[in-house]
Order: sequence, then C-alpha cells, then structure tokens
Amino acid sequence: MIVRYEPWGAWVKLETQAAIVALDRDGVRALGLDGGDAWTGPPAPSAPIEVHMAVTSRCGAGCEGCYIDARPDGVEPPRDVLLRELDALRDAGVFTVAFGGGEPTTRDDLDVLAEEARARGITPVLTTSGLGLSDARLERLRPFAQVNVSYDGDAATYASVRGFDGAGAAERAIERMARAGIRVGVNVVLTRESFPHVAATLAKARSLGACEAQLLRYKPAGRAASLDYLARRLTPAQGAGLGPLLRDLSATLCAEGTFHVRIDCALVCFLSADAAIAADPARLERFGVFGCEAAGALAAFTVDGRVAPCSFARSTGLPATDVLSHAGDPELARWRAGIASPAEPCASCSLRPVCKGGCKVVSAHLDGVHGPDPECPRVLAWRKGAAA
Amino acid sequence: MSDHPVAEENVERIREGHGANCSSIGSVIDTLFATATVGAAVFAAVLAALRTEAVHVAGTPRPARAKDDEAKRPEDA
Repeated sequence: MIVRYEPWGAWVKLETQAAIVALDRDGVRALGLDGGDAWTGPPAPSAPIEVHMAVTSRCGAGCEGCYIDARPDGVEPPRDVLLRELDALRDAGVFTVAFGGGEPTTRDDLDVLAEEARARGITPVLTTSGLGLSDARLERLRPFAQVNVSYDGDAATYASVRGFDGAGAAERAIERMARAGIRVGVNVVLTRESFPHVAATLAKARSLGACEAQLLRYKPAGRAASLDYLARRLTPAQGAGLGPLLRDLSATLCAEGTFHVRIDCALVCFLSADAAIAADPARLERFGVFGCEAAGALAAFTVDGRVAPCSFARSTGLPATDVLSHAGDPELARWRAGIASPAEPCASCSLRPVCKGGCKVVSAHLDGVHGPDPECPRVLAWRKGAAA
Repeated sequence: MSDHPVAEENVERIREGHGANCSSIGSVIDTLFATATVGAAVFAAVLAALRTEAVHVAGTPRPARAKDDEAKRPEDA
C-alpha cells in the first residue's frame, strides 16, 4: 500500500485491490506510522489524489460537445514533457492519472507513458472513443489498470450526443478489449436524449464485457459552452429522477458484483431530490462518493502543461511540473474557498459535505459566478420559492 | 505494524475501483444500494489488505521489493 499523510490521517492506496482508503490518525498509527509534520504543522490544502492529464489535443472524431475543442490538427506534447509531469505527480503523492485528450490512442508511446506512471507508483487509466483502434493500439492499452470507452448508447442515441454515429466502433472496441483481457469500462454522457436509454445502454455495455459504467453529466465547456447546452442538458424531471434510476440500475445490473455503476462529481447534486439518500449523507461519505473536488482531490493538467481545477475549468498559471506548489496558487485557492463556504441553499443542505455545491462550471456558465449549481433540484426549488 | 491492527472505525471512507474517466472524478454508487452484507464485505476486504500489505509512504524512496510488487500489478487482480 502507498500511504499519503493528511492533516486528518492519511489516504492509502491499496495494491492488492482497486481501492483508496481514508484512515484516521489511529488507523495510521496501527500501521506503525506517524504523520509527523502533516499532523503537527499548520494545516495545508491537500494535493490531488487523481489528476486528469491531456496527452494530446489531437482527435478526428469531431464530437459536437467536446470539452477541450479537440481537432485533427491538435498538439501532442513531447514525451519528455509528460514524463516531467509524471515526476511532479509522484512528488505530490498523486495516486491515479487518467490519460485523455483529444484521442490519447493516437500517441505511439501510450504504453510507455503508462509504464512510466506505474514506475512512479501511480495507477494509469485511460479514456478513448474506441475509434480507429488498430491491433497495435489495442496492445498499447495493456499497461493500463482500466480503459473506459465513450459509449452513449445505440446508434441514434450516440449520434444525438456527439453528432455522428460511433456506437458500432465503440461496441467493437469494448468487446475486443474485454476479449484481450483488458479491464474495460464505459463512459456514458447523460443528455435529455440519452437519459431515457441509460438502462439499455449499460446492459449492452455489460453484455460486451464492460465491468463498469460511469455516468457523466453533460457540461458547458469547450464546444458544449453554447446556447445548444440548454437544449441538451437534463430536464429538471430527469435530474430529480437520477436517484431512482441509480437504484434500478444497481438492482438489475450490479447484483452479481461483476458490474459497477459510477456517477461523476457533477451528478451528486441531483441526489438531493432523493429523500432516502439525502437523509443519510454519512453513507455517501463512507463509500467515498465525491462531489465537486475541483482544486481539491482532483486536478487536471492541460495539453499546454498547466494545472486546472478540473478538466472543464480554465487553466491556472501554475505549471503542471510545479503541482507540488498547488497550495500557493491563488486561482486554485479561490476555487477551494468557494467550495468551503457555499451560499444558500447549499449551506444548509445535508449533502453539502459530499456534493460541495454541485458543478461550478455549470454555475459559471449559467449564472456567471461560482455559486450553487442552478440545475440542482434543491436550488431550483429554493429559487422558485424565493421568486414566489 | 503496531500491536493493534487497523479497525473498521479507523476507516473513514473507501473509494472503490479505478475510475477511468479522464474528465471528471467518479464514484461507485451501486454499493450504496446493496445489502448490508455486501457493504460489510467491502470493509472486510479492505481491512484484510490493510493488515497484510507492505507499507510505502508517498514521497519517500521505494524499497526494491515494493518496486517488484508494483511491477506485478496485483491491483489488477
């Protein structure tokens, strides 16, 4: 296991199973360790435990909602630049690096980068569209702990999200990876068009060999930061229905324990509409559910080598190779301060310790400020009441 | 290791899985809806690992044996 001291105890990454654990100080002492300066010195912001690294902005898919506006002529940072960024992640004690882009499989050295991450004690994972997955590219995926394929549903559903039909290519990629013994999951973007088909999409992914599905909220960044966002985002009824949907998916697809469903940080606010979940936030905390962790447990490295609070946020001036200095960056500090002191109705919400105010990228796009998530059911009800 | 092994009350949270998305951080959610038995099994497995795995502190040189262990990728099991 790898132990990273924190003011409250330590984060621990296990090596015999895929899990990260938060231990209190007594638990750390039970390992025969002492946090030293991390426990006795002045409290400082924690480094991220997961970093999303854009290893290229090159991609020919042309998804209408691409959050980094990737293009066929995008840039590909030299390997030595990325290796220095991996050094910085190791020095900061980061546990997981998720390679993305752009289409990361366009890099010829992807396997080398993954092995280099492992040599630094960092677990490498990857997201791909699955398009153009040649046998050579497939082989380069073997060093990754898990690879997720973007898969929003059948042909029509996929096309409704991305503007073209890539469903067949994604399905073939999932099946080939699973057959090759590569641990494969899927990323499913939730729009008002794809939401009604989620159960069928996940069932298909599971039948092809996927071990996991991560549901992603559609976010207004990159090419998706347009008026079109308003027509694609979840309806209020769909947002409020996420809790019951997750219950159904868990019961029908996950009972055997071989397939899991994840939700992304930006979806947690929708659980405020589910009375049973909202009544027991400690359960979400105990099972490690993360809401907005931008500039907290999460950071992103942009393709031009800067640190961003998350992949959807503008980059700061902090070089990726200097991520160890994250605590002193004023923009990251501004994000952390906003998340730590939310306005109503987040301030009095039972889910606040987990949700942390919903997606700041959405609130900045719609309200112009890093405030409460304007699509959260609780925020919608609050504003409706205030207007009445 | 100390004489007192890590206990369940020392575990504040468990984040399962790798989460291979590159754009937003994800969390396993189905365990929340599973039976108490499944939840208990998750904690039991983690406690067993905490009691048996070799310890390496982030930011310190990694011992040779730990490097070998990492190369075997037991996490992928």
